Amino acid sequence: MEILIQQLFNGLTIGSIYSLVALGLTLVYGILHIPNFAHGAIYMIGGYITLTMMTYVGVNYWISIAVSIIVVGVLSVLMERLVFHPLRNTIIINNKIAAIGILLFLEALAQLIWGADFRQMSSPYNQVLNLFGVTFTVQRLLIIVAAIVVMVLLYLFLKKTFIGRTIIAMSQNREGAFLVGINANKVAMLTFFVAGALAAIAASLTSPINLVFPGMGHLVILKAFVIIIIGGMGSIPGAILGGYLLGFTESIGATYISGDYKDIIAFILLIIILTIKPNGIFAKGEH
Amino acid sequence: MLSLKNVTVKYGAYAAVHEVNIKVEQGQIVVLLGANGAGKSTTFRAISGLSKPASGEILFEEKSISGISPDKIVQSGIVQCAEDRKLFPQMTVQENLVMGAYVQRKNKKKMKQTMDEVFELFPILYEKRNDQAGSMSGGQQQMLAIGRSLMSKPKLMLLDEPSIGLAPLIVEQMFESIQLINKEGTTILLAEQNANAALNIADKGYVYENGKIVVQGSSKELFSNEEVRKAYIGA
Repeated sequence: MEILIQQLFNGLTIGSIYSLVALGLTLVYGILHIPNFAHGAIYMIGGYITLTMMTYVGVNYWISIAVSIIVVGVLSVLMERLVFHPLRNTIIINNKIAAIGILLFLEALAQLIWGADFRQMSSPYNQVLNLFGVTFTVQRLLIIVAAIVVMVLLYLFLKKTFIGRTIIAMSQNREGAFLVGINANKVAMLTFFVAGALAAIAASLTSPINLVFPGMGHLVILKAFVIIIIGGMGSIPGAILGGYLLGFTESIGATYISGDYKDIIAFILLIIILTIKPNGIFAKGEH
Repeated sequence: MLSLKNVTVKYGAYAAVHEVNIKVEQGQIVVLLGANGAGKSTTFRAISGLSKPASGEILFEEKSISGISPDKIVQSGIVQCAEDRKLFPQMTVQENLVMGAYVQRKNKKKMKQTMDEVFELFPILYEKRNDQAGSMSGGQQQMLAIGRSLMSKPKLMLLDEPSIGLAPLIVEQMFESIQLINKEGTTILLAEQNANAALNIADKGYVYENGKIVVQGSSKELFSNEEVRKAYIGA
């Protein structure tokens, strides 16, 4: 029983990260219908910026995260302006190829700047707590709480502010959004900024318990794609639920089946769910 | 108020609209008649900035609006209520209306006032204000689409097939509402297949065939035009 609770807790931690990454991916997909393969690289840059701010500049963890959010958010907007925007009227395959190009470019850039070594990020929250038989570091608790806070803020932004609602409007009916006078460029830039910020937050939160390296985004982005396919492409609740679902399944699977198969679970889950619900759990009726 | 001069719109090599000339004066109801695929919706897409004309010019209040972006066109006072409505299906009726006021978003008071006017015109929308737009009937969705367009306080409203797929009784109400909207000061350019109902409320009309305007004239003239009667009125 204790093992189960411990694993549920771990699942919640990893699920939080997955959800944050998948949210950014699904927001971008929702408005531009671009599967942004470069999102994993954006996530990786987020980890490096926070690490650099902490180790080389020497500011504290929170300020480092704030800088990372802004830098990565702006980087994400630049990606939209310089790459996806000029391609907006071409066939969709061009966007996919461009996304892979950005991914390769950013990874090579990271290797050039920071080297290929695995780096550790020291967290100020390494204390170990023991509650109800569950052992965890404060950092893990922080991940869970921070992810929830970020999601609530995102929800309020998208639901309660006029500017946030333009993102939802455009994802529900693109031309409908144009016809009420919404500026497509503004919404695209805003969405990319939010997606970048979410990736930076996720990477900064998880780096102290994992490692920072140029390929750190690979598995995360693959799994984020699994999540948004399972949750329904473009669906926000789908991304959140899918993220936690995958987190739980992985950590429980790792315990009761085998840790070696942890990373394959996502893809087995994908096959099973798509067999039963081919459009994903929260699939939208139209696009 | 609005004039199209030799406007051609192409999809690839195919000209969906070919050298079309249309004039709409302030306060009028002007109708575009024609079968499905004759080019009415494409003309609207060009005016709204969703498609770029290959040649020709579109003037609104003496200024060229050809090829400028859709949001700027809404800002200038032209709104389109599209044939497939283009609502935000998972938003409530009220949220859809609020989005419709996007260009008026700075003026909360005016927005509230316009929304009350829309609710007065279509009381069913007030009753269903908290329902999801996608859950409503076709007629109600059409009312919401018109209501959402009105929220931007347009000078000119492009209405694409508002009667499509609706029950005859609802169609009648719809045309009454359109007349009312026009009386309140909004100029209307209407695309319709229901020629009888449309010509009844319109000042003048243009008849489309294969992307070209083949007949034009006042509603009276079109009513008495033998070909138009045969093709579109059926008497």
